[in-house]
Amino acid sequence: MADQILFFIEVVVGGLLAGTMYSLVALGFVLIYKASATFNFSQGAMVFFAVLAFVGFMQDFNVPFVLAFFLAVFLMIIVGLCTERLVLRPLMNQSEDTLLMATIGLGYVLEGLAQAMWGVEVRRLDLGIKDFPIPWIADNLKLFISAIDLTAGIVAFGMIIGLTLLFKYTKMGLGLRAVADDAGAASSIGIPLKHIMLLVWSAAGVVALVAGMMWGARAGVQFALVDLALKALPVLIIGGFSSIPGAIIGGLLIGAVEKVLEVYIGPFFGGAIEGWAPYVLAIFFLLYRPEGLFGEKIIRRV
Amino acid sequence: MSSVSGNILELKNVKVVYDNVILALHDVTLNVPKGKIVALLGGNGAGKSTTLKSISTMLASERGKVTGGTINYDGNAIEKQNPSQMVNMGMVQVLEGRRCFGHLTVEENIISGAYSRKLSRGDINQELEKIYGYFIRLKERRKSQAGFTSGGEQQMIAVARAMMAKPKMLLLDEPSMGLAPQLVAEIFNIVKELNEKEGVSVLLAEQNTNVALKNSDHGYIIETGKVMLEGTAKSLLNDDKVKELYLGISKEGRKNFRDVLKEEGKKKKKKVN
Repeated sequence: MADQILFFIEVVVGGLLAGTMYSLVALGFVLIYKASATFNFSQGAMVFFAVLAFVGFMQDFNVPFVLAFFLAVFLMIIVGLCTERLVLRPLMNQSEDTLLMATIGLGYVLEGLAQAMWGVEVRRLDLGIKDFPIPWIADNLKLFISAIDLTAGIVAFGMIIGLTLLFKYTKMGLGLRAVADDAGAASSIGIPLKHIMLLVWSAAGVVALVAGMMWGARAGVQFALVDLALKALPVLIIGGFSSIPGAIIGGLLIGAVEKVLEVYIGPFFGGAIEGWAPYVLAIFFLLYRPEGLFGEKIIRRV
Repeated sequence: MSSVSGNILELKNVKVVYDNVILALHDVTLNVPKGKIVALLGGNGAGKSTTLKSISTMLASERGKVTGGTINYDGNAIEKQNPSQMVNMGMVQVLEGRRCFGHLTVEENIISGAYSRKLSRGDINQELEKIYGYFIRLKERRKSQAGFTSGGEQQMIAVARAMMAKPKMLLLDEPSMGLAPQLVAEIFNIVKELNEKEGVSVLLAEQNTNVALKNSDHGYIIETGKVMLEGTAKSLLNDDKVKELYLGISKEGRKNFRDVLKEEGKKKKKKVN
């Protein structure tokens, strides 16, 4: 019995830690959704683009790890800059649907660019962290928790705190929240929308890079990252599109639930329910709590 | 030019078209003298908001365009500027319908108005105290979420937020909309106080003709995108046509401005006959 409980805890903890990876990707979506009320379909491509560039710098140009990281950050800021100038600004004042379509297009451009620059083969990314259980925890707590999962969890946690502080206490953050609430009113009091857009897309780019590094270290840097990133969709539906804590909790929830379902219910379906179980959960949320767990409720005064 | 005429804002024969086809303003000419309050009056769809937006350059975001005439503000021709440049030049518009940031607190809303200025934390607090001096009610509610405050408070937030940008000129779009008479009076008192103590010039679009004229120096009445009548606030308040059409003081009920003109035309014809 004790073994079974231990196993259950292990499954849940493993799921939660894997969930932080979903959270990381979902964070990127939330940032952009907050500022322009658009689901950024190119987020997956950004993840792929960012991490492929990072690995490319390291492997093709022998750039050291830290420098490659900053080069990739710099590159993602350039991508943000170009997106603002070439996609968002010409589409200003168009409907949100138009913007949505534009992000799909942007996604294809980024995918193509990344592959044109760095090639199509799967690359290994070695962060120096192994995808094996941490011995200390395995010995003392009898839980098998992968080092990479734990690292991802810590990194995700750090980014959340950083972003929350950025939004809550900086001038830019205030501007961003103002734009998220009412872009027209924000521009009427002189908040320059283009700066806010640039900030948001750059931040989303950096988040994409970090998410890509975590995913890439585990599964290899490859095209499949683009689709993996779409796992963030049920995370966002559950957590709420506009909430940073929501993205985190939603990610954890999806991670834990899909692992538990896979292990305990999976066998009845012949396994591999991980792939679709989150979407079933998302459908229930859409039916019964469409704003998600933490989505900003529409404020109605009576 | 403005220093000679004493006007902070001058519109000459301004024409505005939306979506390249819809003519919203035919011909608007108006002046706002420095340090005065000018009322822009008219019914729904007369072109009040469009006039204000053509000045603050918010038109572009609604696919509108000034296609004729000139707008001159503080000695500069307004052509290619964007709203944030206008704010930097000291011109701030308070949009129709208040448009507070609902999820931000009252205080965050007001502070956001200072975004365009490079102020230290201390300066911001100082400015904030000054603003609260005018909007005492907001100080009590500083920590509440703006979306849950009353309509009157939201209107005050919108004006307070605009004042944080330290404007030379305020464009107010229907501050009285949907508010109880007592609150309307309160808000107009604050606007007057700001005008007197801070020296802000005000161009005020209103449907509430009575309150607006009582609180301003000069008035323009526009209908279907044209200035139909102008004069000092006092003279407009005593004008028979204004009384009948906009103040509802008439034996025959409400009429359209054009009908009155037509009737007058008929009367003249009769006299000739």
